Amino acid sequence: MITIRLNGADVKVEEGWTILEACKFYGIAIPTLCYNEGLSPYGGCRLCLVEIGEGHRAKLASSCTYPVEEGLAVHTDTKRVIETRKMMIELMLSISPNSKVIQDLASKFGVTKVRFKIRNEECILCGLCVRMCREQMDGKAIGFQKRGYKRKISTPFDIRSEECRLCGGCIYICPACQLRCQGPEADTAVCNACLTMDPTCLDHYDELQCWMYDAGRCGTCVREKIEKEKTVSSKS
Amino acid sequence: MKNTRKMKSINDLKRAIKTQIQKRKSKEEFILTVSAGTCGRARGSFKVIKALKNAIKKEKLENEVKIKVTGCHGFCEVEPNIIIHPHNIFYQKVDPKNAKDIIIQTILNNKIIDELLYSDPITKEKISQENNIPFYKHQTRIILGDNALIDPTDINDYLSIRGYSSLIKVLSEISSEEVINIVKQSGLRGRGGAGFHTGMKWEFARKANGNTKFIICNADEGDPGAYMDRSLLEGNPHRVLEGMLIGAYAIGAEEGYIYVRDEYPLAVKHVSLAISQAKKLGLLGKNILGTGFNFQIHISKGAGAFVCGEETALISSIQGKVGEPRQRPPFPAVKGLWGKPTNINNVETWANIPVIIEKGADWFSKIGTNGSKGTKIFSLVGKINNTGLVEVPIGITLREIIYDIGGGIPGGKKLKAVQTGGPSGGCIPAKLLDLPVDYERLAEAGSIMGSGGMIVTDENTCMVDLAKYFLNFLRDESCGKCLSCREGIRRMWEIVTGITEGRATMEHLYILEGLARVVKDASMCGLGQTASNPVLSTLRYFRDEYKAHIIEKWCPALVCKRLIPSPCQDACPVGIDVPSYIALIAWGKFNEAVDLIREDNPFPAICGRVCNHPCELNCKMGEFDRPIAIHSLKRTCADYVLKREGYKLPSIQSKREEKVAIIGSGPAGLTAAYYLARLGYRTTVFEALPVAGGMLSVGIPSYRLPREIVKAEIDAICDLGVEIKVNTAIGKDLSMDDLKQQGYKAIFIATGAHRSLKLGLSGEDGLKGIIDCVAFLKDVNLGNQKKPGDKIVIIGDDYISADAARVCKRLGSSEVNIIYGRSRKEMPLDDSEIDQALDEGVKIHYLTIPNKILSKEGKVTGLQCIHTQVGKADSRGRGELIPLEGSEFVIDADTIIRATGQVPDIAFLDRKFEISRWNQIVVDPYTLQTNVSGVFAGGDVVTGPATVIEAIAAGKKAAASIDSYIKEKKFEGYKRPKPRMRIEPVKLTKEEEELKRPEMPLLSINKRLQSFAEVELGYTEKMAIREAKRCRRCDIEE
Repeated sequence: MITIRLNGADVKVEEGWTILEACKFYGIAIPTLCYNEGLSPYGGCRLCLVEIGEGHRAKLASSCTYPVEEGLAVHTDTKRVIETRKMMIELMLSISPNSKVIQDLASKFGVTKVRFKIRNEECILCGLCVRMCREQMDGKAIGFQKRGYKRKISTPFDIRSEECRLCGGCIYICPACQLRCQGPEADTAVCNACLTMDPTCLDHYDELQCWMYDAGRCGTCVREKIEKEKTVSSKS
Repeated sequence: MKNTRKMKSINDLKRAIKTQIQKRKSKEEFILTVSAGTCGRARGSFKVIKALKNAIKKEKLENEVKIKVTGCHGFCEVEPNIIIHPHNIFYQKVDPKNAKDIIIQTILNNKIIDELLYSDPITKEKISQENNIPFYKHQTRIILGDNALIDPTDINDYLSIRGYSSLIKVLSEISSEEVINIVKQSGLRGRGGAGFHTGMKWEFARKANGNTKFIICNADEGDPGAYMDRSLLEGNPHRVLEGMLIGAYAIGAEEGYIYVRDEYPLAVKHVSLAISQAKKLGLLGKNILGTGFNFQIHISKGAGAFVCGEETALISSIQGKVGEPRQRPPFPAVKGLWGKPTNINNVETWANIPVIIEKGADWFSKIGTNGSKGTKIFSLVGKINNTGLVEVPIGITLREIIYDIGGGIPGGKKLKAVQTGGPSGGCIPAKLLDLPVDYERLAEAGSIMGSGGMIVTDENTCMVDLAKYFLNFLRDESCGKCLSCREGIRRMWEIVTGITEGRATMEHLYILEGLARVVKDASMCGLGQTASNPVLSTLRYFRDEYKAHIIEKWCPALVCKRLIPSPCQDACPVGIDVPSYIALIAWGKFNEAVDLIREDNPFPAICGRVCNHPCELNCKMGEFDRPIAIHSLKRTCADYVLKREGYKLPSIQSKREEKVAIIGSGPAGLTAAYYLARLGYRTTVFEALPVAGGMLSVGIPSYRLPREIVKAEIDAICDLGVEIKVNTAIGKDLSMDDLKQQGYKAIFIATGAHRSLKLGLSGEDGLKGIIDCVAFLKDVNLGNQKKPGDKIVIIGDDYISADAARVCKRLGSSEVNIIYGRSRKEMPLDDSEIDQALDEGVKIHYLTIPNKILSKEGKVTGLQCIHTQVGKADSRGRGELIPLEGSEFVIDADTIIRATGQVPDIAFLDRKFEISRWNQIVVDPYTLQTNVSGVFAGGDVVTGPATVIEAIAAGKKAAASIDSYIKEKKFEGYKRPKPRMRIEPVKLTKEEEELKRPEMPLLSINKRLQSFAEVELGYTEKMAIREAKRCRRCDIEE
């Protein structure tokens, strides 16, 4: 066991854990996207960033890949972390506005507008499918191609791979295509339906689908917000 | 290589070195050292070598003269260069043609060829010795200097400069720990960019657990414009090997890799050769020199990914995986190549090791500053006189590098900034020129040392464009793993591109800055963490330039093509997108060309005839040939369309209820009507005369501007719903107040300047035979075609004097004279127009002013004139006219026409309007609004007599201003013109590339004098297309 200073408290953690694992153990929520317990950590989505070190040497690091060290100071929710995280969500949303996973993240972290041109590319290159295929399905059918802004996920030489057994694991794990956001204007912008208006998912499902359901269970905050808006509009 | 015997002991190597040193000393023959690195080869050093060999053979000097092919000497600007030993004569920019001279004159006759010597750019003094050339004199070349001494393909040559003696020293006297201590004491820091202490790095690797360890030489040099590692590997590979051997010994590694780009074929070749030679001599392999030390070096060729310069990505690449960085820790010193402790250093770092061992840590640490020791090689490129590789002690100022070594900026331009550290680096502005170059100072200034790229920029470099260039490089070269780096750089590039193209707002600048900080913070590896530097440092020092792009839509360095339209468009008062319509004409798309012109100017056919075309004066083509006939092309396409289907109705915004009155139907008034109608306003134009068009109809004679053309273009404006009420004089038939009462929200006064000025000569008043030029032309144009007299003198200060003269000729006057106070050059008329007048028999007396009117019985009989001389220029730049006493002469005349300028006739205006002393209406130059709210004025009535195109510009501006006034918005003012579209250039045939500007076809003189038929016949469509193809399209050159 080694000691790290997590959000100001000295805590004991297992050697070999990542910061993310340590935070989970101590119940500190850190948003993740390209991270999955069953797969090797990747560090691509930069959502799980935390601030490590102190003073002018403090820097951001992805908690899913950073191993704990004796005496390491970790801050999970500094201004720097939160602002960076919001920018990451905004960037993701600008590429893949139809992903419910990303729209939920946007609502949860208060990203209410996207200032970049929407591209609707869907894939955010989190690499979950690639790792799923390789590590869990022993497939190695898909991988990354090219680099920089031309990077994409494909099979070797863009032809159907013999390695692929059509297991569907890649689609199962994909945050962009597993669930489509049903928000009214998700194609063009941020949904934020669960923050700003009637939960429109109720038109499609029997149950409230947004993150609020998971977080608050009751949805009161949504209702309160609507009622507030109603009173405001009836007054005016 | 003769000596291939494997050396079994340290003494063997000692002996070999001794032999080689003696051999070098004892050489008596001439040696021609030719630089043939990649840069030298590109500039033809092999051709020079071949020519030299031939010349040597011809003179049968094979035994006396030897050629040594070396690597790069660093002075790229003067490649290929030759140093002749033993006299050390430095010849620059050698051509194969010079080979014979070099052999015969310099070698045989011991004469120096002056033309091949370097001459000091300031003193022009010829310099024969390399060391005296300023470029070399101010350098400290402890690493690069050897490049000029040795043949990189021969290990013996390296031995002859005491090569591998540091290895002997280490293997025989110094323990591994001690080596690390020496390196630590020397203060050497990594030359790859981050500047980590090399000794400490080695210690980590040495202390790491495990028996198998690796060392790597990072030669993945990929910064644009940086090539120091390449030239070291090409020119002195053994030195790098020696450094690696020493490092391996110190760390305890038995295997090493050189990771070099495949794009460096010569470096790969020379390093491979060096490795095989070292193996043969027993300097690499098992049990080196019998000491039990084993070391192998492999070459790993990279595929040219910039990110593979990052150590974890590099390791990944050597292992055959995708070159992607991973999270550190664990650091390579703990877990590197194949999971074993690994030490990675840059080429230059390794090359420093032998010197440190040879001369000692103390010697080395004396060079440089407190925190940064030794020398650093920079590749000095960009807007600099002496492009090349420079090696300087760390801590030298930028000023010394740029001015003493680099020789300053070419063309006497001003230095703007220095970009250091490649794409991950930043810009240092000229004001920080005295900044000492070391790791910390550069970081404080917002840049990095990087691997040593140094790009010099001058005042003609746009810093936003520079940032865009690097972002473009990085968006391609980011591995793409981190969202922040991949997407962040791409978005930054998008925003910066938007700024350079004038699409951005200040909000974008704010986003850009925030994004840049986030990318810097959130990325995993060095590439992403430094990718924002080009943006952040240019924002830090050149924010004004960003703002100019965003707010003014203006690129101060005149670089950003989207903002700085071609000079012709810039020169046009209404900013017509000239290059695009010329290109459309070149494609034969006349209709589209006219539509495009009519976006900015409702009178293409009129301006195609009578515009004074400032565009042509600014045409780039005019710098080396005659300018493009821009206005004639405009005319041709407009005529083409008018002859056929007529102008297309331009787009109109939704109709509005507000009414606008325009007083005066000249070009200014009609233009305002055109734009107001397009904005949806109900527009009425009031004209006092029976015809609309103002000066277009009653000023300019119809042989220059046929009436049907004017009518057609005015009709096209009426088609938009503009109502023109002729014979309605404001002040007489209607008052200004009437207009207000009739519900006109705004009034635009554009009544022009129609009242001629008097000559100010005695007896002018009351004489018969003195007439006003404007009144005369108006009279003629309205149908009264009676000749004013037989002998005419026109006193012409004005551009309409030629019009009057030519009209008189057409009406049958026999003698027509123009007297003009200045020279032909200063005449406010187009050259072709003066020529045409002269052809028609008009006499022009230059440098002549009227002195006295001669008269008899109340009738003019002649004009006494006097010659003048132009004196000193006044504050407006025009010379004062000095009459030459005694040069008086008389021109017989029965009629004198005054064309000495006009003033606006504003008798119809109320007292409440502010009027200048020139009788012009005073307006706010920004909004064109008069002191009476809702009443605007523009054109000649405000400026005095000016050109048609200026009147059109005023009308256009007035329309925008009136629109803002009615909508109660703030008037945004004039925006710099921008290209409206991008037209691809036409592919030219060989013959078309040689085209010349065609002469304008003219009506024959006889026909001209008999009627008012148009003189200039215009280009045919075919001629127009050919002329349009002459445009060099400076608007799209990138």
